[in-house]
Amino acid sequence: MKYILIGLQIILSLFLPLLAIGIIRQIKAKLQNRIGPPIIQPYYNLIKLFKKNQILSHDSTWVFPLSSIINLSIVLILSFIIPWLPFNKSVFSGDIFLLIYLLALMRFFTIIGSIDTGSPFSSFSTSREVSLAVLLEPAIILALLALAVAFKTSDLFQIFNYAYSLDLIKIPVLILSASSLFLASIVEFSRCPIDDPTTHLELTMIHEAMIIENSGLNLAIVEYTYSLKLLLFYGLIAQCLTHCILIILNLNILLQSILCLLIIFSLLILTSLIESFSVKLSWHKVPDFIAYALTFSFLAVFAAIINGVSL
Amino acid sequence: MNITDFFALGSACFGILMLGSVNLRLNLFLYSLQTIFMALATLNQSFKLVNIEMYFICIFIIALKALFIPYFLNNVLTKIDIQYDSNVMIPAPIGMHISILFLGISQLLSDKIIQSMPSIDSIGGVTAAISLLFTGILFMLLRKIAISQIIGFLTLENGIFIFGVSITKGLPLIVDLGVLLDLLVAIMIAGLFVFRIKSSFEHIDVTQLNELHEN
Repeated sequence: MKYILIGLQIILSLFLPLLAIGIIRQIKAKLQNRIGPPIIQPYYNLIKLFKKNQILSHDSTWVFPLSSIINLSIVLILSFIIPWLPFNKSVFSGDIFLLIYLLALMRFFTIIGSIDTGSPFSSFSTSREVSLAVLLEPAIILALLALAVAFKTSDLFQIFNYAYSLDLIKIPVLILSASSLFLASIVEFSRCPIDDPTTHLELTMIHEAMIIENSGLNLAIVEYTYSLKLLLFYGLIAQCLTHCILIILNLNILLQSILCLLIIFSLLILTSLIESFSVKLSWHKVPDFIAYALTFSFLAVFAAIINGVSL
Repeated sequence: MNITDFFALGSACFGILMLGSVNLRLNLFLYSLQTIFMALATLNQSFKLVNIEMYFICIFIIALKALFIPYFLNNVLTKIDIQYDSNVMIPAPIGMHISILFLGISQLLSDKIIQSMPSIDSIGGVTAAISLLFTGILFMLLRKIAISQIIGFLTLENGIFIFGVSITKGLPLIVDLGVLLDLLVAIMIAGLFVFRIKSSFEHIDVTQLNELHEN
């Protein structure tokens, strides 16, 4: 039974991420009164990119192709140590600190790969990415630590090990952590209020300019890595929210999984709504936006600590 | 942590988020949410103490402080045509982080208060009350527009009310109604004043009101 579940998880992590990107694009198109590409268009794009030739810059070294492959392998490890669906079983222990350091390692290799190409656009988008990451990382770390303090373990699989208990004091911690992680994910994946993922205006973009030199197979790997990381983050947020409902209601594992997938779907709808109705923030307002994520994390930590003190 | 504490601390959280925005309508909306959470804490306390008077107070709070006063101030904002409190003393997110620091300090203070008064059982309520006091004072100190001063004062008043609810067994109905009526009259007069100041000075920046203006 355990191996079937692991196999199911591998299949889902291969096919769901691109579907998520397709869903976001489709809803955005519907909101803008366009017909839009079909939901499975990202798969077609991926197949097309696999067939294409790779063009490498003359200045780039072996670091550039290696970095995207290392990122892919890190995100595949992450898909095993993050319990992003309720039936995920622990192959390794999903420690929070391992997660934090793997995310940092991933960012390091993205940066080093984009600097290696020698393109000026990559360089200045890298400097933007780093300055955002410095502000963003405390928010993600504190949100995860709040969960760890509230549940008194740093293993994500034990945190999301569902036990039906009317333990209402954990609900604020979970909701605040989830909202902090959602705000952080907007910055992390450079979605709309921070950066418009559809424009190719080099002066303003962050993520797109970092991968501007990738082509062919490399670009396919980078896009898949991006979408799987997005799905893992949303899965983590959905797990927090599912856990809130499960504290009150007792559901079996099938209903839990369906609920979790529904919450991921509604988060995708929320993302596309935000992208449709908000305008891109100017660069000096972005730290203000991250400050809100940090505030939610601080409040989550406060709620977690106050639980420990008063009981 | 019981349900009263949960709602009281939720009210404190909305107070902190209110400090993080310079959009005055959003401030009013968050103030309204904060007051509704405060009223829910009162409602829960009234069920716990089986006190019918607190139940009525809860209804009055929602009707007057959570719905009527924000609506009235919204109308004032429409008339004087101001959207943002643009020149704050320090950036709004940093003010928000400072108020989180004050939330921690108020937790320590409420620990001391609880130790000296063992009959109180809601530590979260006292924490939320002191935190809302600090938030209101910070809001009044950091902002320069007269409407912001009013919102800060209302937040401070919410803090005092939560303190009263969580450490007493409920005040008499007549006292609370008197306080609410006074508050209502004060806010209406302040709203009219803001309107008059705007029409004679053409701005409502309270730091520049000491300069004489002749018309």
